[in-house]
Amino acid sequence: MAKMNQKLLFKTQKSYLILSIIVFLISAPLFYFVTNKLNVHEADETLLLRKKVFVKHTLPTFKIREIAYFNKFNQDIKIEKNKINQIQDSLFYKYFGEELNHEKEDSRVLSAPIIIENQSFNFITKINLVENEDLIQSIALLFIVLLILMLLGLYFVTKWLANKLWEPFYNTLKQIESFEIDKMGSPNFVQTNVEEFGRLNGSIHKLIENNLIIYNSQREFVENAAHELQTPLAVFQANIEMLIQRDDITNGQADILIKLSESVSKLNRLNKNLLLLSKIDNQYFAVTETISINELLEKNFVFFSEQANTKNIKITKFEDKSIFVKTNATLLDVLINNLFMNAIRHNIQNGTIEIKVAENAITFSNTGSLKALSEDKLFQRFSKVNPSAQGNGLGLAIIKKIADLNHWQVKYNFIGDLHVFSIQF
Amino acid sequence: MKILVIEDEQSFANSIQSYLNSNDILCEIVHTIQEAFAKIEVYNYDCILLDLMLPDGNGYQILKELKQQNKAEGIIIISAKETLETRIEGLTLGADDFLTKPFHLSELLVRIQALLRRKNFNGNNLIVFNEIEVDLLAKTVKSNNITLDITKKEFDLLLYLIGNSNKVLSKSAIAEHLSGDMADMLDNHDFVYSHIKNLKKKLSETGGNDYLKSVYGIGYKWQK
Repeated sequence: MAKMNQKLLFKTQKSYLILSIIVFLISAPLFYFVTNKLNVHEADETLLLRKKVFVKHTLPTFKIREIAYFNKFNQDIKIEKNKINQIQDSLFYKYFGEELNHEKEDSRVLSAPIIIENQSFNFITKINLVENEDLIQSIALLFIVLLILMLLGLYFVTKWLANKLWEPFYNTLKQIESFEIDKMGSPNFVQTNVEEFGRLNGSIHKLIENNLIIYNSQREFVENAAHELQTPLAVFQANIEMLIQRDDITNGQADILIKLSESVSKLNRLNKNLLLLSKIDNQYFAVTETISINELLEKNFVFFSEQANTKNIKITKFEDKSIFVKTNATLLDVLINNLFMNAIRHNIQNGTIEIKVAENAITFSNTGSLKALSEDKLFQRFSKVNPSAQGNGLGLAIIKKIADLNHWQVKYNFIGDLHVFSIQF
Repeated sequence: MKILVIEDEQSFANSIQSYLNSNDILCEIVHTIQEAFAKIEVYNYDCILLDLMLPDGNGYQILKELKQQNKAEGIIIISAKETLETRIEGLTLGADDFLTKPFHLSELLVRIQALLRRKNFNGNNLIVFNEIEVDLLAKTVKSNNITLDITKKEFDLLLYLIGNSNKVLSKSAIAEHLSGDMADMLDNHDFVYSHIKNLKKKLSETGGNDYLKSVYGIGYKWQK
């Protein structure tokens, strides 16, 4: 799925944005309509008031001859002859060409029939309504400003709220993300007064506790099993050793005995490796010191050269750099030895091994099978590529474990018929 | 030579006893700390083999007791539990050597011999086997009074073979002895053959007897 995961906050804010737009779209015309209506209503009342005032105070003494004079000085009120025999007050819109600003003004007009000296006249009064276009523009502008303010407000409020509200959640998330079952005890979640987060923390805590119990008992089991096996193995090996001392052993029996003896040796090594893995799990190798990789390589070089000789393997060392690593000495020893051993064990007759010490890395390249190995299975316990091989399937698992413990990178590549294992310190 | 084996696994103790017996080492076996205390009070031993996990307590108790009594016995801890702490604690409490189970009986024998040499024959660093003379301090070997040009591995091998005279030694036992701490890293035992061959050749060049016999399918034997 190509769909991107969105942040929770983003999702809330998206909803708020959509809501704001909908509210804006509905309320803007409504607001315009209502304001318009109110405006007209107000204008009508003003016009009717003018007429009332005129009828009450001016009309009783008003003379026909005064009409021209009156009209001359009143811009908004005119008295005209009632030509259409209007008998009722009427309110209507009318557009007047206003010479002053060359705009057509929308006006509200009241035309009311009045009687002056027994003759019928119309009292016409008008009022300019606010220009409609201006109104629309102002309202739109106002709304946009409001919308922006509201969105900004929402954005910051939700952000602040989210950070504050969801703080325990993100806290828990961070702890779970950094949780490693083999490295620490159960995480300490920050106390929260939100019920849901409290429940979440409680459940996760319980889950982790249960897993830790299972993990620890498994770890103990491996360690105990490996320890308990050592005594019977010792008995087994000692008895074979006693048996081979007899001088009445036939050749056939000798073949069987040596196979048994080799199996015991293998079992013994397997057991020791299992113990080593469980010791690493139990943080047994916590003491660190600064060690020279080059010296370490030299230390066991004779031993491995001897081992390689039986397969006539050529070993070349390229020490471009002198590198030092701060770690546990025993484990680094085991790591380098296992890498070396691995390069010999899975090598071919007359093969080669190249060891390269470079800046912060050591690389072992060896000839071997002509196929690349499957990397995802390579470092798992007991995943043997070649089932008939000497190894017990723990060598690379141990390498990986030690590297992981020290946060080093183990890489496997198959380059030009060479199996390349490198450790990035 | 008298040795006390403190080991609760009867069958294992018996194997040790019969392997060492044929090398003129007298073994007494006890299975508990209480039995061990009873023996130690009455007798003196040249060497004590001590298992740490015993049914009635920890083997360290015996180490402490021996230290208190100022006993001069050499002590080799034979334990299934091997951690750096147990090793260090054992050695600080006065143990002389530490062997992790399982181990080869041949290895145990040469360790006992080395321990006794250190304890009893101060200054005498010469092992003589007929015409062969091994100088432990100078790490040199003479055969028929001719000094051999011998490698460290071959020296180790010769000492191990002489120490285990008349015993059949499997190739894996020899390989593991020669590899020491690196024994866990052994890929195959074929390299033993070349060391045996070289040693044999060097000894025969001095006109010495051929004591080193190969045993079909199993390994080698240094025959007296």
